[in-house]
Amino acid sequence: MASESRSASSPPGPDRVAAWTADYRPLPGIPDEFIAADGAKRAYWTRFLDALAALSPEEIAQRFAAADRRIRDMGVSYRVHGEAAERHWPLGRMPLLIAEAEWREIARGVEQRAELLERILADLYGEGKLVAEGFLPAAAIAGSKDYLPQMNGVKPRGGHWLRLYAAEIGRGPDGRWWVLGDRAQAPSGSGYTLENRLVLSQTFPAFFREMNVERLAPFFRELRAGMRAAADRPDPRICILTPGPWSQTYFEQAYLARYLGFLLIEGADLVMNEGRMFVRTIAGLKRADVLWRHVDSDWVDPLELNPASRLGAPGLIDAIRASGVAVENMPGTGLLESRALLAFLPRLAERLLGETLRMPNIATWWCGQSRARDHVLASLDEIAIAGAFTRDAPGFAGRPIVLGSELSAEERGRLEKRLAERGVDFVGQEVARLSTTPHWENGKLAPRPFVLRVYAAATPDGWRVMPGGFCRVSDKPDARVVSMGEGVESADVWVLADKPVEASTLLPARSEQRIVRLLGNLPSRAADNLFWFGRYIERCEATLRLARCLTNRAIDPDASSAVARQSIDKLKTVLVAWGAIPADAGKQAAVEASAAALRSEENYGSALSIARAARHAASIIRERLTQDTWRLIGGLEEGLARSGGRPLSEPEILDAVEAALTTIAALSGLFDENFNRGAGWYFYDIGRRVERGINTCRFARQLADKPATDNNLDVLLDLIDSQITYRSRYLTGVAPALVRDMALLDPFNPRSVGFQVATIDDHIAGLPVLRQDGMLEEPRRLSIQLRAELSTDDAERMDGRAILAIEQRLAHLADAIGARYFLQSGKPKHAEKIMSLA
Amino acid sequence: MIYDVRHVTRYRYEAPVATNSCVLHLTPRSTDGQETTANHIDIRPLPTGAAERVDIFGNRVIRMRIEAPHRELVIESTAQVKVERPAPPAAGLTPAWENVAAAAADSDSLGTDSPALGLFESRLVGLYDEITDYARSSFPPGRPIYEAGLDLSRRIHADFAYDKAVTEVATPPEVAFAKRGGVCQDFAHIMIAALRGLGLPALYVSGYIRTIPPPGKPRLVGADASHAWAQLWCGREFGWLGLDPTNAIPVGDDHIVVAVGRDYADVAPVEGVIVSSGGQALDVEVDVTPRTF
Repeated sequence: MASESRSASSPPGPDRVAAWTADYRPLPGIPDEFIAADGAKRAYWTRFLDALAALSPEEIAQRFAAADRRIRDMGVSYRVHGEAAERHWPLGRMPLLIAEAEWREIARGVEQRAELLERILADLYGEGKLVAEGFLPAAAIAGSKDYLPQMNGVKPRGGHWLRLYAAEIGRGPDGRWWVLGDRAQAPSGSGYTLENRLVLSQTFPAFFREMNVERLAPFFRELRAGMRAAADRPDPRICILTPGPWSQTYFEQAYLARYLGFLLIEGADLVMNEGRMFVRTIAGLKRADVLWRHVDSDWVDPLELNPASRLGAPGLIDAIRASGVAVENMPGTGLLESRALLAFLPRLAERLLGETLRMPNIATWWCGQSRARDHVLASLDEIAIAGAFTRDAPGFAGRPIVLGSELSAEERGRLEKRLAERGVDFVGQEVARLSTTPHWENGKLAPRPFVLRVYAAATPDGWRVMPGGFCRVSDKPDARVVSMGEGVESADVWVLADKPVEASTLLPARSEQRIVRLLGNLPSRAADNLFWFGRYIERCEATLRLARCLTNRAIDPDASSAVARQSIDKLKTVLVAWGAIPADAGKQAAVEASAAALRSEENYGSALSIARAARHAASIIRERLTQDTWRLIGGLEEGLARSGGRPLSEPEILDAVEAALTTIAALSGLFDENFNRGAGWYFYDIGRRVERGINTCRFARQLADKPATDNNLDVLLDLIDSQITYRSRYLTGVAPALVRDMALLDPFNPRSVGFQVATIDDHIAGLPVLRQDGMLEEPRRLSIQLRAELSTDDAERMDGRAILAIEQRLAHLADAIGARYFLQSGKPKHAEKIMSLA
Repeated sequence: MIYDVRHVTRYRYEAPVATNSCVLHLTPRSTDGQETTANHIDIRPLPTGAAERVDIFGNRVIRMRIEAPHRELVIESTAQVKVERPAPPAAGLTPAWENVAAAAADSDSLGTDSPALGLFESRLVGLYDEITDYARSSFPPGRPIYEAGLDLSRRIHADFAYDKAVTEVATPPEVAFAKRGGVCQDFAHIMIAALRGLGLPALYVSGYIRTIPPPGKPRLVGADASHAWAQLWCGREFGWLGLDPTNAIPVGDDHIVVAVGRDYADVAPVEGVIVSSGGQALDVEVDVTPRTF
């Protein structure tokens, strides 16, 4: 096998493999992926390690470091429930390796299970035979919060309750794979699987090729084909319904939207009308044919389900009943995740498929049945107790699994009483120990427990199983549960084919990772956030310029002169007015005020606060931004926050300002050079220009109102970055009318208000109109008027009042743009419940 | 007994409401000794797309949307209901409560009358050790279920103060329980939590109670407004039997059942989602008048 490269000086490969694995001992009684039960090393692991050992230690370190960097640069992240900050994605160094023959067995088992579960759902929400015939107790279903009686009698559009199903599997003590649990609500992880693959295959491109690793892309193509087939028109609009940027797996949802070309939307973007769902876009309502649901069932429709939900769309359940929208997976599928159901699957497989389960699940007894409960009570010492329907065992908050043998006498008494009274809430389960796989720790391999999530998609050609999966590896030797959080890494899963695998790209080439956007399809939410992103970036830039100007004036030798002092005060006034520095900052030294304007956490208008707001707006449209853009947005905020709370000297302030301005310039360049000139870019640019126009008016009111000092006019030219233009055009010193013209009216100066308005007007002219009746829509009417006036006005008469009037009309135009194109300002709000008091 | 029912719900909005989606549970049921012989629901402004369907509990549910901007919404429901409920069974003849619990867990139905639907925690009613413990003294081993249920409803009536000031519509049962007071909705929720805690199926009933008392009888609490009580499943033979802890009486011909659900959230008379920036004021009127012949 060829290696990535060889280093002549390093110790030979075999020695290195021996060093990595010298202490590798599978845990007693626990199957391991590297060393089989008979003590033999699995050949494909040896092959992989030999190939790795052919690289020099430096190169291995270098490649691992590059992988880490790539994850950070791509912004791969997740959120732990209850935490504000996102975490960088932890990807382990070692893939999980599985040979093709073994994989086929796994895939068959998962396929069979997916089909079984699909049929169970169809029966439960349909004819109800399984319950009536006694194969499934009604209470084993009704206990699940995801059993939705609202779905009774519903025929899913597209014919499937499950589009994407996942099984959590592990190797049992006998070495066979078994199912630990089912994921049917909205299985997550498939997007992270893609990311993991992208990173690891780039880390070891040669091994990846030579070990014949099965590709993931075909699976996603088929998944998409399945969703497409569920719609009733040839070119359907497929949307990912996300709970929003606070969701634990928002990154993944945004990634999948970009990868598959789907629209990422939130509930508030949707409208139900006559049994169909529509997305609010800047060109009016557009059909949403398919919704890939990442919002839990209970939250999808506040009208019929949880009335507290802000994540859903009122009327969605009605549209589903009317077959007007395909929802994948259907609401109500989450009931399959109940542990109670595991107890009945073996019998149900025989009843529905006439087959035994190809892959067994962990032995389970539902305690709602007296015989099962008696068995569990009798064997409490050997059995694990868990919630039949809940994450934690009822009465044992924070403990998903309770081991009879580990309970105190008091706890045991409590458990026995509960089991007697409400056995329906509990299951007993065989105690599962997770099997282990090699994990790279401090330059050595160690066996660590893992869980593998395997995905199956309903496609026009039946169930398809993704060759690979989402694997979580614990860093503790003994683990019963592995969920993403402290001390858990993910691993790429390599299914090793016997023959070379046809190359298949995961992604379009990097240069094509641009937004594909059709005019008019832009959802109102995206337009709104692009507009505000533009405004925030522009505001951030203006704040930085103010801080720089203030610092420069303060270190000027003539700073103490009356005229200079007046300019400094005016700059402070502007900063106070937009909340960049506290109201009492007038007394502060200029350097302190500048530092506050730069990075104060308390002031909502500081450059740091504005950069945060920009990042939040960007996070809502993350699927539309390139990695480079996202990285720069994060970098802007991090750069400003870096200095922390310590006092800054003047040169440090200037350095920080320069660095931030450079980042913004890079960001502006990326937007201008890379963003498609569709409606999305227009809104971003309109946002920037509205903000710039308003800011320039504000500066001009402070600094160029009559009577204006030379010093103030000079500051204004600094702030609007027009010193060079002015000097090249006028050989005289600063004159009020000339500066005003340059700042407000000059159509050739890209920083003037007139230039902003003309550009805004051109952009609006390029946006879709709702009615083709020849009438101007309000935003256009206002932009044309303002443009005409600025084109014909006279700088001589521009006093503070006249400038204020322009500023107000710009604000008015911004409001009109919001009213026309964005989501309605009022958030959906609940009618107060009736106090049905007695 | 034949009743004329009139139930008016009036919302006034501070700012114009652009769209208003509502779910209504306002049509009295025609089951269990009760028949709605006529009914009409008048909605102003006129809704677009109003549709009725029957939900899993057998309630008639109306969904409607109003698309025109409006500042007031008035929903007036009128109905004529004939109530001839069979007398409740002799409490002593109902099965032991433990047997009912076992039968409920074993139920082979997810249909309208399934006890399984009343067995678990629901949106507004969880399981609370204190409430379950409170219930236990009514449920000694082997006691007939309906007898135990009636006893529990009498105890709630005796131990809890009817006081509108103690709770609000969203008050969780354990808070009303700790305060030993509340209104019919709270009493019903407490009763349901208590029964479910023991593994017994219980449901919430929303309805009315007659306004004008028969000559010589006291006026019942809850008149002139919506009323609420509980249902307890008493085994296959006896099915669901009503218990009114607010008045400590069996549910008879003075009660009119509108809707049945797992708790108030399933059967709120009017539940809606509006798009509006302002607040709102709500006003409800209920009249229940027995016909005199």
